[in-house]
Amino acid sequence: MLDPTPKARVLIGKPGLDGHDRGAKYVAQVLRDAGFEVIYTGIRRSPEQIVEAAIQEDVAGIGLSLLSGAHNVLFKRVIDLLKERGASDIVVFGGGTIPPKDIPTLTAMGVKAVFTPGTPAKRIVETLDTLLAQPA
Amino acid sequence: MPYHGDIPNLIAQTASRGPASVRAAARLMSIVTDHPERVATMLAGATRWPQPRLVLGITGAPGSGKSTLTDQMAASFRARHPDRLLGILAVDPSSPFTGGAVLGDRVRMMRHATDPKVFIRSLASRGHLGGLALGARGVVRIMGLLGCDVVIIETVGVGQSEVEIAQNADLTVVVLAPGQGDSVQMLKAGLMEAGDVFVVNKADRPDAATLQANLLNMLKMGWMARVDLYHEELTCHGPQMLVAGQSADGGKALSSIPDLPLDAAAPPPVFLTSATNAQGIEPLVDHVESRAARDADAWRARRDTQITREVRDAVLESARKRIAHLIGRNGTSQATLAPVLEGRISVDELTDQLIRRALSDIDTTHRIQPT
Repeated sequence: MLDPTPKARVLIGKPGLDGHDRGAKYVAQVLRDAGFEVIYTGIRRSPEQIVEAAIQEDVAGIGLSLLSGAHNVLFKRVIDLLKERGASDIVVFGGGTIPPKDIPTLTAMGVKAVFTPGTPAKRIVETLDTLLAQPA
Repeated sequence: MPYHGDIPNLIAQTASRGPASVRAAARLMSIVTDHPERVATMLAGATRWPQPRLVLGITGAPGSGKSTLTDQMAASFRARHPDRLLGILAVDPSSPFTGGAVLGDRVRMMRHATDPKVFIRSLASRGHLGGLALGARGVVRIMGLLGCDVVIIETVGVGQSEVEIAQNADLTVVVLAPGQGDSVQMLKAGLMEAGDVFVVNKADRPDAATLQANLLNMLKMGWMARVDLYHEELTCHGPQMLVAGQSADGGKALSSIPDLPLDAAAPPPVFLTSATNAQGIEPLVDHVESRAARDADAWRARRDTQITREVRDAVLESARKRIAHLIGRNGTSQATLAPVLEGRISVDELTDQLIRRALSDIDTTHRIQPT
């Protein structure tokens, strides 16, 4: 048995109204296997619910999965709410069917990484390892 | 609001119950779960912290409906006490292979996620056996500091012997569902002894009534066995001999038998619920509330004993660490231990020397500090 020392805590949530959670669950599983503690909050959550959960759970990162096309609005709302709550240190990343032309907009509002369909699992883990590296 | 990372500051922010208190409490919880070596700092003064009125444990096999029942009971407590805070601590297993975990209990509780009066914290078991997680007790205490009136602890899905919850909750609810075993399973030791209250969930299933009947039988038998043992002790070793339940002095001795301990006064009750349909919840919460009203004083005394034990453990651990530091790690301890290995002094003498050196180290550290 390996030494079960977890990496960072990460919240995976689906804001908005689409119910396609296969991607979110898959990423949750990938991150679990990579040693992260994943708090999975399920489908159709409001940005308020996601931010409140992230603060109570004291996570290092929030992963938003979205296939409805409302990413520009909902990602921004999450980032604004985090700012309001004094929790801007929580890293926000996202994934789903997000058109490449929107990625610069998301990056500009503070989304640290966007994983579109086809991203290798290994790259997601490596990116998060870097983004969520905890000071010892 | 920026929060400040040091423990006394986080404690003050949590206790202030202001807008930054939730984040501060969440950070403190991370400290107790991630940095057990810093818990000792937190414990100083923790007996003066406000405590929850009720710490309720919910335990049972995987898939018996613990999270859904927790969610329904939480809703009931919120409706009964609209102005009071409620804490939920949900423990899920960590992978013993990677250390990772998916904590999914929140999915069934999301309707509480924007209720400013509900604080939910998920913990991964992180290799800790017993059904809880390291630091769980500290998290409950921080919920008390935050002002939670009721704290519900939901354990990992347990098997037969993960009964740590019984030592950490005031009242333990064991949740069973139909199809999980026959009456012999119920005779086995462990989980079935840990329950103060039993719930047969998924009551909409056809075999739920059978399970409830079996369970009631088993609990009654267990209770009678305990009562028998208790009285036998009194009759054999008590001041007066009792013969076949009759006293030799015409009844006086019988009335001198003290009351049975509180939790043995009756077999534990069994409630039928269907958590997904919100059925059977209110009678269960009624019962829990009546126990809380009746036993509050006894529970408080028991919690004080727990804190004393924790502080004792923390002191011992701190002493152990200081001595261990002087002995050195496995590879470097040879020189320190040589006098014992060669038979020149005894283990006790070396221990005395190390304690003296630990004390003089403290003096030296104090001396070299400027001002």
